[in-house]
Amino acid sequence: MRNSSVENLQNVDLVIIGGGCAGMSAAISAHKNGIRDILILERSSYLGGVLKQCIHNGFGIHRFGQDLTGSEYAKRYTDEIDRLGISFLTDTFVLSLTQDHDITAISPAGGILRIRAKAVILAMGCRERPRGALTIPGTRPAGIFSAGTAQRYLNLEGYIVGKKIVILGSGDIGLIMAREFAIEGSEVLAVAEIMPYSSGLIRNIVQCLEDFHIPLYYNTTVTRIEGTERVTGVWLSQVDASRKPVPGTERFVACDTLVLSVGLIPENELCSEAGIELSSDTGGAVVDDSFQTSVPGVFACGNALHVHDLVDFVSMESEVAGERAAQFIRGKSDTASVVRAEPGFGVMALVPQRVRLTGAEDRIKFQFRPRQRFENAEIRITSDGCRISSVKKRVLTPGEMCELSLERSSIHSDLKVEVIGL
Amino acid sequence: MFDVIIIGAGICGASVARFLSQYKLKIAVLEKGSDVCVGTSRSNSATVHSGHDALPGTQKARFNVLGNAMYDQLCQELSVPFKRNGTVIFATNEKDMHSVCDLKKQADINGVPGAEVLSREQLLHLEPGFGARVLGGLFAPTGGIVCPYTLVIHSCYSAVQNGVEFHRNTAVAAVKKDGGAWSVLTDKGRFRCNYIFNCAGVNADIFNNMVSEQHFHITPRKGEHLVLDKSLAPFAKATICQTPTDLPGGGHTKGMGLMPSMDGTLILGCPAYDSIYPEDTATMRGGVDEILNYFRTFWDCFPISSKIPVFPEPKIISSFCGVRAHPDTDDFIVGEAEDAPGFFNAAGIESPGLTAGPAIGKHLAELASDKYGFIRRTDYNPFFYKTKPFREMTEAERQEAFIKDPDYGRLVCRCEQVTLAEIKAAIHAPIGAEDINAVKMRTRAGMGRCQGGFCSPEILRILSKELQRDPLSITQCGGCSKVLLGKVGIC
Repeated sequence: MRNSSVENLQNVDLVIIGGGCAGMSAAISAHKNGIRDILILERSSYLGGVLKQCIHNGFGIHRFGQDLTGSEYAKRYTDEIDRLGISFLTDTFVLSLTQDHDITAISPAGGILRIRAKAVILAMGCRERPRGALTIPGTRPAGIFSAGTAQRYLNLEGYIVGKKIVILGSGDIGLIMAREFAIEGSEVLAVAEIMPYSSGLIRNIVQCLEDFHIPLYYNTTVTRIEGTERVTGVWLSQVDASRKPVPGTERFVACDTLVLSVGLIPENELCSEAGIELSSDTGGAVVDDSFQTSVPGVFACGNALHVHDLVDFVSMESEVAGERAAQFIRGKSDTASVVRAEPGFGVMALVPQRVRLTGAEDRIKFQFRPRQRFENAEIRITSDGCRISSVKKRVLTPGEMCELSLERSSIHSDLKVEVIGL
Repeated sequence: MFDVIIIGAGICGASVARFLSQYKLKIAVLEKGSDVCVGTSRSNSATVHSGHDALPGTQKARFNVLGNAMYDQLCQELSVPFKRNGTVIFATNEKDMHSVCDLKKQADINGVPGAEVLSREQLLHLEPGFGARVLGGLFAPTGGIVCPYTLVIHSCYSAVQNGVEFHRNTAVAAVKKDGGAWSVLTDKGRFRCNYIFNCAGVNADIFNNMVSEQHFHITPRKGEHLVLDKSLAPFAKATICQTPTDLPGGGHTKGMGLMPSMDGTLILGCPAYDSIYPEDTATMRGGVDEILNYFRTFWDCFPISSKIPVFPEPKIISSFCGVRAHPDTDDFIVGEAEDAPGFFNAAGIESPGLTAGPAIGKHLAELASDKYGFIRRTDYNPFFYKTKPFREMTEAERQEAFIKDPDYGRLVCRCEQVTLAEIKAAIHAPIGAEDINAVKMRTRAGMGRCQGGFCSPEILRILSKELQRDPLSITQCGGCSKVLLGKVGIC
């Protein structure tokens, strides 16, 4: 039965935008914390998001103490959603979100839906940085894929995207795909990384490249794409310390496919209408330690908040966000005074950016990425120029997120998190 | 046997086809690309120039001003997004202010309506936020922006409605006089006709030189552009360029500038370079760097800088390069070849060709009709009506569209909010989309910030289903541009 008008406004306690790992984890956690009136809105035809196309293992070690594939990991959550009877709508695209938590969405089953929520959790995930953003010179033929798109073609649709492949960027999805291409009989000629280190996990470099004899070239990038209809090859060049190509180092690699694994960008296009403050540092919303955004009652978690290394950490974070949203709905949110946490030297993508001076939990967890590789470094939190916490680390790399926690009672004014090389 | 063969389906070919379709003629357009509008008319700055920068007395000046004046009616008839957002050419020193005054004189001679030299204060009144370095500039209120591929595609659709045939993937190899008629040899066979309209863009010289002793030569000239995400659209109104004096680009460019597009993205460009290959649309590091360096240096001049203080390089979503047909005559070549009656040229149509194209089409159709006595049709329909895109609909319109067709409820391209209904319509249009780029040009699916990362597999599947073709045969842009190279397990 289709609505002939869009007058009907549905009231829901908690709306979660996005039914991937973050959205499902948050929903289950909110349910455990007493909220029953929950609705997950998912734009694709199934829950689970990108996990469904991750047929490799390595998921769940931290969360479940078990080594699962992405699809198995997703199934744990979809089963739990079913068991708890949490409502969700698939094929449902959220068109707008307002400051008052009014949501407009559309689906082929129901047309325009209008929902007013007591609380909203933003769990839209992230997208891949496309070729255009890199402005790689050359032609624009078929055969250029972002790693996740190639993964979808291969694992969900069953198609080979290329026979002779060069991968630009050594992000985790690129590394995983290198191995899958090799297993499917394609030849991975090179993985080029512009930085002197990989942004992927060390275990993926070993298991996905070294075990399959796939060469990884650091300080190297693609400087030109050739081919008018399909890719016929790419030029690889070495780069100097400022990441500019070094003349004379160009070499042509004949290939039919270029796969890009050059970064992920949180999806937050919905935030502007609602006036939710975004961080140019993370690409996600600015949140406090309860994952609440600048708009009261709107929470953010998962890769829509900041890009994570492992889905386990997405789940764990989203469970906290779900619990805080439940507290908000029950009217138990405190109006504590708030201080700022700023990234200092060597620190990027710091979350949370705000800390409440009073709150239920005693410890505040900060997450960030080091701006560069550090060896024998100290992570230091200062307030008014005084060190209030520090921890020494042997190795810090941008590929692995750092975490440290702090007693809430030790915080009195704005904080700065920085990395000091020793 | 055709009355008319038109070579090329860019802005000139499409306009000639549409204006000739007012007459009782059997017309075919031959396009070697896999779609209409795949060359110069697609990849440009999407600007409807006012006509201030063409040298007085040239065909460029004439057709630029005539074409500009046609745009309101034309875009209304064809449901094409168009806006007169005005053009500002600013100057940062006294010498450039003199060039601005020269442009004003030129504008007056060319008959550009309303162009005026504005002081810094007047400029700030027009659009607050011009940087401290800006002394003043030329303001041309008739300058506008248009969606170029929608204009060409809809002109073609309109021509089809009025009986014109389009043959895509049909490359002309030779043109010759054969008895009293013309013979056009292609890779799809021979076409015979009485009149030929040569709108072959960067290849137009080849066909002219086959039939006429009055040879000319066309040099492909590349123009590079960067595209910024549409989240910046609220901060840019007019098309704003710096005077071309002393800028890089060898004097081939109209200057560096920031051009809002009808799609909401901002286009930055464009340096220009001569090339030796007519189809060479590869971007070059040098060109891209030139744009980046320019905007890193001059961003503060542009009004947008008052809201976005630093050139937002992470907002770049794409770069592209167009090739313009630069003739050695340095002016448009429009008219019947003197020594080849029945052979008409629209050649060397470099910038401002997009603006001039419709006027050139109209002129050539009238010229041929006057000379050869074509008979007007009584049932000519100038209108092509297209439903508003979903992304521009109000909530009530969306619901209404959904009730008529539930496919409006399925969003395929999330960045540009394109629905399944619109993609199906593009595939089943009069000149239907047969590949991923053709869907993109008709709907904007895949043109947004993720550049098709999410939606291209879905669009491939929809194409395969609607055209009843194997997914392995679906291409990016025709020819051998296959997207998928095999099935898993069967290499």
